[in-house]
Amino acid sequence: MELGRPLRQAPGVEELRTYLLRRLLQTIPLLLGISALTFLLLQLAPGDFLATMADNPQVSPAALEAMRRRFGLDQPWWTQYLLYLENVFLHLDFGESFSRHLPVFTVLKTGLANTLLLASAAAVVTWALAIPLGVVAAVRQYGWPDRALSFLAFLSLSVPEVLSGLLLLWFAASTGWFPVGSMRGLDHDLFSPAGRLADTLRHLVLPALTVGLIPLAGRMRQMRSSLLDVLRLDYVTTARAKGVPESQVILRHALRNALNPMITLFGFTLGSLVSGSFVAETIFSWPGLGSLTLEALNTQDQYLVMGSVLMASVVLIAGNLVADVLLALADPRIRHG
Amino acid sequence: MRGRAAVCVAFLTGGLLSGCGGAGTGGSAFVDHEPLPPDTMTTRMDELGRYGGRFVAGTTASPKTFNPIMANETSSNDVISLMFQSLTDIDYMTQEDIPVIAKSWEFSDGGRTVTYHLRRGARFSDGHPITSEDVKFCYDVVMDASDPSFHSSMRDALTMDVGGKQLPFTFSAPDSYTFVVTAPATDALILSHVANLRIMPKHVLEPAWKAGRFASSYNTATPPESLVTSGPWRLKEHVENQQTVLERNPYWFGVDAKGRRLPYLDQVVFRVAKDQDVAAQMFHAGELDGLDNVKAEDYKKYAAEQQEKGFVLHDTGPSFYTNFFWFNLNLVGKPEKGKKVGDPKVEAYKYAWFSNRDFRRAVSMAVDRDAIVRGPFYGYATKCWTIITSGNPRWYDSTITAPDLDPEGAKKLLDGLGLKDRNGDGVREDAAGHPVAFSLVYNGDNKLRQAIATLVQDDLAKVGIKLTPSGLDFNTLVTRTRHEYDYDACLLGLGSAVPNDPGMGPNFWKSSGLTHYWDIGQPHPQTRAEARIDSLFQACVGTTDLAARKAAYRQMSQTLNDECFIIWLPTIDIRIPVRSRFGNVHPSPMPHRILWNSAVLFDKRPGSKN
Repeated sequence: MELGRPLRQAPGVEELRTYLLRRLLQTIPLLLGISALTFLLLQLAPGDFLATMADNPQVSPAALEAMRRRFGLDQPWWTQYLLYLENVFLHLDFGESFSRHLPVFTVLKTGLANTLLLASAAAVVTWALAIPLGVVAAVRQYGWPDRALSFLAFLSLSVPEVLSGLLLLWFAASTGWFPVGSMRGLDHDLFSPAGRLADTLRHLVLPALTVGLIPLAGRMRQMRSSLLDVLRLDYVTTARAKGVPESQVILRHALRNALNPMITLFGFTLGSLVSGSFVAETIFSWPGLGSLTLEALNTQDQYLVMGSVLMASVVLIAGNLVADVLLALADPRIRHG
Repeated sequence: MRGRAAVCVAFLTGGLLSGCGGAGTGGSAFVDHEPLPPDTMTTRMDELGRYGGRFVAGTTASPKTFNPIMANETSSNDVISLMFQSLTDIDYMTQEDIPVIAKSWEFSDGGRTVTYHLRRGARFSDGHPITSEDVKFCYDVVMDASDPSFHSSMRDALTMDVGGKQLPFTFSAPDSYTFVVTAPATDALILSHVANLRIMPKHVLEPAWKAGRFASSYNTATPPESLVTSGPWRLKEHVENQQTVLERNPYWFGVDAKGRRLPYLDQVVFRVAKDQDVAAQMFHAGELDGLDNVKAEDYKKYAAEQQEKGFVLHDTGPSFYTNFFWFNLNLVGKPEKGKKVGDPKVEAYKYAWFSNRDFRRAVSMAVDRDAIVRGPFYGYATKCWTIITSGNPRWYDSTITAPDLDPEGAKKLLDGLGLKDRNGDGVREDAAGHPVAFSLVYNGDNKLRQAIATLVQDDLAKVGIKLTPSGLDFNTLVTRTRHEYDYDACLLGLGSAVPNDPGMGPNFWKSSGLTHYWDIGQPHPQTRAEARIDSLFQACVGTTDLAARKAAYRQMSQTLNDECFIIWLPTIDIRIPVRSRFGNVHPSPMPHRILWNSAVLFDKRPGSKN
């Protein structure tokens, strides 16, 4: 195998474009299906947005009826759904949140940005730890660092995210080193730009750790085995025989090729990081898409649920698309397929 | 390389750690630049305060709107009640009406008409004067039925049923400082119904109303400077799902005994803590200055650590929130499969038990309320026999009673109904052999109700009744108990209206009401007792004579209890921890429990922490 060959060979631009177009077209029926299913499930759930209000003795039946009409909840569900699709496709209007009287997109955009921030930080945690640790484990195969790391990997695989999140939260509360949840300190606005960045980072550490640790064990083991495979190849032996220092052999020659399969894995983890952050968001009061979705579901704020489910789906699909494109770039057989 | 990485991590952590510790809002003390209005409002307080500092409160969710007319849940109302004020308010300690934007009022026309005299020189948070024009505008908006973009439940409170006709209150503003409200008939709660509406600025909101955009005005995306308020606070910053910061309204008309402008604090902050446990962690970490919702099981722990941790656990007394259960007596309203109009919704044999007064009394006599107080409430609860708990000094009536624990008496009553254990399995059967067994639904996410339901199950088993608790999701519960009437018995609680006045619950008391839980929306009263309660309720709200109102309230409560339509359960005693560095702290069972007197709260050591 020659050094870095698959990446250096420019893929046919034409081929890639067709491939991308095909993948993008595939997302349309997928999103339609997701939206229809979400809408149907929302309708099957008992009660509606006004159920809580109906329990308030101060609200009269006439007021409830008028509100039901106003929100269109008196229509059959398919009428509501078709109207929703029409608004989305013809006017790019994703509806209004019942509780906030604001367009759904306005409500969701900061939540989405916060979730993406958390997911990217978690990705940094995962990869910044997985690659060096995987390398260490491979280089010292069956030595004590490898055994210790294997043990930690299995441990972190078996601790559920809820528990590790709560443990970190307890750690924050008992040491006072980190804030207990939220995304910004009280005086965030009074800080200098550098202070604000530090404030956000301080709030980001624990949730990012919680989310980033989930895929860490797997990625570390994959890095380890990938590097081990490469280290057995002839050209590594040749390099060693030529007297290249061992650190050079590993970092300059072996690691580069061992990283290839990891690139495609990176795209796939992006998607799982977003879904993984939903749990951490609740534990750490992180103001992301997850907490908004949960709140919208609990209050049956119909179009807010639809909007957030669609947004999360788009992010997931995009993550998978990135993975596939990376794979297509790395392996020509995929894009011919 | 490994060495470099370690240094890098250490640097990062150091940098992050030094980022903590607050700049605070301390520093220069507040200097009042605005002249005081001719009619200031002197607020009662324990001690004179000092300027500066802030109070950080927790909230389970971000406000959904800042528009007082559109808000309909706690997280919005908590913030709005600090930003906007009404003509009058309720004194949280005595439950009496007190002047706010109106400095005085007088009744005429036998209590049907109220003439309000507004405070001269009162101003909105942008410096604009508050006049009767603004007040009239707000009521015009609420009463505007032509605007299909919104319908406010506030309109209901300002409409009266007179001889079967829905008649609205009428409003007029004869001059800039006079506002007149006339009700279609005498209404004891006219001040409260009018005070339901908080005053907003006409000069800001009239264009939105005329353009049909009122419902979405003053939303959470509105820039703070265009959110003009009438109360002691105005919006400084709102960060969705994180925090809402209020700052002093520099034009507000409230002053302390020395004539210094209120509020004392520079800021009030609502920080989002979605969960009770997370909020508790934040309180212990010093990130919150008080908790308005502590679990009864933790009261002892808080009481023990208050000295050491620098807070005071305030005893607020019994909550205004009541717990109770009832039997489904609803009848079929529209023809349905297998049942005709007027048939009971439950099986006929169950209806025969549930509709029997003695059966309901026996159940009430089987429930060991003291055990409930000791158990799920950890001893911090008070027995309660009406919709008004002993926490309310104005309305609580200790003479109102209902059948309490008496298992032998309960057994006798059940024997008398012919419900006997005929096959020796410990469960009674009726003459036709149906075992006396039914289910009790409640919202399953509420651990307290789950524990209560289990205790009630044990109590009823002791007198030979088999009760099966069944926890449901809240929306399912509402659907089944309020729309489909598909249940046997239901355990629920009812929060307080403001004011905590029996007249605020027509839907509960009246047989036609939507929260007349056991038999909802009766076309005409099903029983003589309910007909009597209907007329007593009318007597209770149809006069302004407090003694007559109290007499009517006592009789309607006692009638309800004699019938045992509602089986009352104990209500929780509230404890509120607040950092001891704050002065004039007087938590109340009514919302907002800590911040209701936010204008007089002060930090004894502003600028310092804990």
